[in-house]
Amino acid sequence: MNSRENILSRIAANKPDLLELPKVNPDVFIDGKNIIDEFTKKVEIAGGNLFEVVSNEDLISQVITMFPEAKINFSTLKGTESFNTLSVDANKAPQDFEDLDILILESNLGVAENGAVWLPDNNMPMRVLPFIAKHLVIALKKEAIVTFMHQGYQKLASEGTDFGVFISGPSKTADIEQSLVIGAHGALSLSVFLM
Amino acid sequence: MSHSKAASIFNKDEKKVNWHDKALWFVRHKRDKSTHTVAGWEELRNLGHGIKAHTLSNLDTYLIQFEENALKNGIQVHWAADGDEHNRIVHSILKEHHAKKVVKSKSMLTEECHLNPFLEADGIEVIDTDLGERIVQLAKEPPSHIVLPAIHKTKEEVDELFQEHLGTKPCDGDPQYLTGEARKHLREKFIQADAAITGVNFAIADTGGIVVCTNEGNADMGAHIAPVHIACMGVEKLIPKQEHLGVFLRLLARSATGQHITTYSSHFKKPREGAKMHIVIVDNGRTEQLSRPDFRASLHCIRCGACMNTCPIYRRSGGHSYDATIPGPIGSILSPGKDLKKHSSLPFASTLCGSCSDVCPVKIDIHAQLYKWRQIITKETPQPFVKKTSMKMMGNIFSKPMQFNKVGGIARWSLRNLPKGVINSKPNVWGKGRDLPIGPKESFDTWYKNRKKDE
Ligand code: SF4
Repeated sequence: MNSRENILSRIAANKPDLLELPKVNPDVFIDGKNIIDEFTKKVEIAGGNLFEVVSNEDLISQVITMFPEAKINFSTLKGTESFNTLSVDANKAPQDFEDLDILILESNLGVAENGAVWLPDNNMPMRVLPFIAKHLVIALKKEAIVTFMHQGYQKLASEGTDFGVFISGPSKTADIEQSLVIGAHGALSLSVFLM
Repeated sequence: MSHSKAASIFNKDEKKVNWHDKALWFVRHKRDKSTHTVAGWEELRNLGHGIKAHTLSNLDTYLIQFEENALKNGIQVHWAADGDEHNRIVHSILKEHHAKKVVKSKSMLTEECHLNPFLEADGIEVIDTDLGERIVQLAKEPPSHIVLPAIHKTKEEVDELFQEHLGTKPCDGDPQYLTGEARKHLREKFIQADAAITGVNFAIADTGGIVVCTNEGNADMGAHIAPVHIACMGVEKLIPKQEHLGVFLRLLARSATGQHITTYSSHFKKPREGAKMHIVIVDNGRTEQLSRPDFRASLHCIRCGACMNTCPIYRRSGGHSYDATIPGPIGSILSPGKDLKKHSSLPFASTLCGSCSDVCPVKIDIHAQLYKWRQIITKETPQPFVKKTSMKMMGNIFSKPMQFNKVGGIARWSLRNLPKGVINSKPNVWGKGRDLPIGPKESFDTWYKNRKKDE
């Protein structure tokens, strides 16, 4: 018997009688908190920055003032082509983006309870980008924010994403004596721009 | 070596023990602060427990469903009965891709299987990329905690290690500087890697996808750059549906570090274009644990580490004293299932205070299981002479009230009158490192009866 059959048959023999799968009712978690306030607070707790803007142009000009030193920039927002200093095409390897300073992406889902934003494959030309870029900037519509992860997954249920990530704040570590250091392997900063 | 012996070695440096104790209590405190802001937290824990219990009761079906979907998504699926087979599978995948340099993100499973030495023996370079794991790898030590692998190291020790191995400047243990240097060092490794190995936090049966959670972004830096991604998981990582992640991602980080969610919760479903993805599903004793009704709930564990942070014994004895991949309270109920003799002292490394069960996000009855292991171990393994005889004596005394009263009187008198040297003599292990109280003149029973009379 190969290991697959072996494992499956052992489980079949050893598992308990079927137990019921509990139903998740998100209503029991309702806490009446203001969704935008909560999202703002949680982005900041996670080490991120939060701004409000009215348009893509407004966003770009704020980003340029925030990072005057940045040289290599890329944005997927509509009408921001002049900001880009490189193109992302199929013949480039993930390694080629090591020096990316600023990456601007759009998110269609934010979660108030933890300040996370969802980035699916379709919103980024290459998977490594939000991790390899030094400064990650996310544009998010206020209407795209939900209360809890439960509602988040309800929205994602119809999306057949090949890869997607919830990101909350910049990369961080506390592995040296529990002191929090922002900037581990991923982005050194994360800014969310609400529209 | 028994846990208590190993712990006494750790306890030689009292200052460090106090520091270790405090560092972990700080994490436990952060957990409390964040969970208390969640309305319905207990309901969330009930759901976590219920979903896991259901999944285990139907695990074979879910694994088959998971495999079917993963295959459809273009992922290759492998099955390993034990650690050895797991290592051989990973090795053969690496060989097939001529991979010589491997970056690995945190995976307690690969620790459990001792994957690194196996690959290194064939000249493959394996770099642990989680900062804490890299620290212990450089120090040639195993992790001492499942979430905070280098929690036993002071910043000065890390400073010295990095000077020696990464050529950093002396910095009085400045965490900012040291982390920055580690980032540079590991960036190079990510860029050059031929393959990435990651663990799996959750595997979703109905999508065939897996979720990996990190704060540092190391799993993603590995998996999205290297041409091959190998994800290793125990059979118990399954959950039925994607929507159940809503429950577990709400529980995991809050219980682990007090964060509301980890920085990255990465959902892998299909390999990226031009790259390969493999999943290795491992048993290594898990199906046997499933066969034990008293202990199968230990397979609910989502590896948050909360039971370690809260445990008064773990905090004061250090992770290495457990001599097992998973230390602390949960480790003490998993390890005896694998090797009862080797780990027979672990279920006794507890005060049975129950704090572990109180914080466990998936409501494992950890302390009750510790107690149950004790019953089994006392029956099945030889006990020290002093313990065996004194237990028998005590059992005798407790069963006869008259005798109990008499012995109680003698004990109270002795505690008041005998010199310390006699009371704390060798057979009395309770006298080691602590003093017994002065014996009261009357017993509780007498005190209670007198009080009743006075009413
Ligand atoms: S047993 Fe519970 S508290 Fe301990 S690590 Fe596992 S999930 Fe966390």
